[in-house]
Amino acid sequence: MIEAYLIHILILICIYIVLAVSLDLTVGFAGMLNMGHVAFFGIGAYTSALLTLGGTPFLPALIAGAIMAGIAGFVLSLPTTKLKGDYLAVATLGFAFIIESVLKNWVSLTRGPLGLPGIPRPEFFGITVSSQLGYLIFSAVVMAICVFLIVRVEKSPFGRMLEATRDDEVAASTLGKDVYKTKAIALTVSAFFAGIAGSLYAHYISFIDPTTFSLLEVILLFSIIIVGGLGSSKGAIVGAIILLILPEPLRFLGFPSSIVGPARQILYALILLLILYFRPKGIFGRVELGES
Amino acid sequence: MSIVVQLLINSIIAGSIYALIASGFSLIYSVAKFMHFAHGAVVTVSAFILFFFAGMLKFPFWLSAILTIIFAALFGLLMNLLCYRPMRKRKATNAVLLIASLAMFILFQSLMIAVFGADIKTVRLGQISTGLNVFGGIITELQIIIVLVSVILLVLLWLFMKKTRLGKAMRAVADNKEVAQTVGINPEKIYNITFMIGSAIAGIAAVLIALEQNVEPNMGFSLIIKGFTGAIIGGIHMVPGAVLGSYLLGLVENFGIWFLPSGYKDAIAFVLLFIFLLIRPQGILGIKRGVNNK
Repeated sequence: MIEAYLIHILILICIYIVLAVSLDLTVGFAGMLNMGHVAFFGIGAYTSALLTLGGTPFLPALIAGAIMAGIAGFVLSLPTTKLKGDYLAVATLGFAFIIESVLKNWVSLTRGPLGLPGIPRPEFFGITVSSQLGYLIFSAVVMAICVFLIVRVEKSPFGRMLEATRDDEVAASTLGKDVYKTKAIALTVSAFFAGIAGSLYAHYISFIDPTTFSLLEVILLFSIIIVGGLGSSKGAIVGAIILLILPEPLRFLGFPSSIVGPARQILYALILLLILYFRPKGIFGRVELGES
Repeated sequence: MSIVVQLLINSIIAGSIYALIASGFSLIYSVAKFMHFAHGAVVTVSAFILFFFAGMLKFPFWLSAILTIIFAALFGLLMNLLCYRPMRKRKATNAVLLIASLAMFILFQSLMIAVFGADIKTVRLGQISTGLNVFGGIITELQIIIVLVSVILLVLLWLFMKKTRLGKAMRAVADNKEVAQTVGINPEKIYNITFMIGSAIAGIAAVLIALEQNVEPNMGFSLIIKGFTGAIIGGIHMVPGAVLGSYLLGLVENFGIWFLPSGYKDAIAFVLLFIFLLIRPQGILGIKRGVNNK
């Protein structure tokens, strides 16, 4: 029993590490205040879930989810890469609301607020990953691959160009770098990986509904990357581990379940406020939010 | 024909409510230069305070309403003093303040769920009236009061900003904080007053909305979305722009659901926001300066 519970937490940690590391690519490395990450998470989850429910094998569905999320990221980048600071935040947040609204209202496709139940567990080459432990191993492998790839991007010349864009956009463009294109690629790549996380999530929980991809999730993701420290993949990983474990004791304190949900949100919000107050750079952070 | 009249009436009512939220939001933005999303939490918490006084303690309604508005002003002031001011002292960027305001929004919304429960509360005055017939459309007395209060308040706010010493000082800080400081205006004091005025307007909005709709923990969320959408499409740097944008949003939203399912109402607001961010990011009345400033 306790073992199953621990494995459950570890699987969620793997999923949130993918989300946090990919979000950090835009917020930490490119310096874009991207608040629409949940939308890509949701697009990946819904695409992958709907395809497998329709009979598509798991692996193509996962890749399709990631590609759909990446396309959405590219589309969002078209009107937003020239916006800065607050305006970018509002536009990306707005995008997240539009996606949530579509998930809620396109009932014929998504079943609206009823959500999608019975999403099958992954199956490849005739083997179904049905046990908890099996899913943990599977998601840990996917997580490791994603983190490896994102870190490769961050350490590449392109990653340095992203940081140059973040630190001084004008200087970067005088050196002949196309800063808008750089940002658009960053957003697309970041969305792609959020789509993978969405697929992992959908096939693990086996039920998704639009409320999973709401503003509350934005706060959790920002808490993770800010606590861990912006511009640091190590920070995003440590942040995800800390923030997913921290509210767990609430379950055992004997609060009624109607209090546990809000208490969790209160805890996340307080942590975020305290870290912004006392250590805005987080644990491993190299840059501050919106600094340039 | 009567559908058009009714939709027009609904647009004006919705626009009046959005304008009350947007005016406070844009007032705070123009002076303090960051997006204070927790403004939505001021509305939510104030509505619950009204429910607490009028519904639970059974205070007379007028007394409850006054207490609620005073509470809202103090709540806004405390947010500035306890959260934003220390952060500003540490030279926090406006992105940090924006994230902090979102965190406060979630904090207080969750606190309301924990304290009052997630169910819907109502605060009602007397009988529910059938409404008056205006050119084939229906409007209730309460809705007329909402529109009137909104228009009167917005005119008063405008006069206050144009004519009084304090209003001029606020505009001076909004325009250029450093120069305002050199002529002896204390910006921190102006920030406090701005937060109190903006939040008091949100408190008044909360009283009206609590009467017209319901009191629930999520109410501030959709209101602040509409408020800041209205503010941005009208021009967030000035209150009249925000008001104009709010009425425009009310119109587009209400006529939009003629064609789309009503569930898309919030999405319509954002599509409008996107169109403006693309073609006129400074808003209808806005001037170019500031859009690209950090």
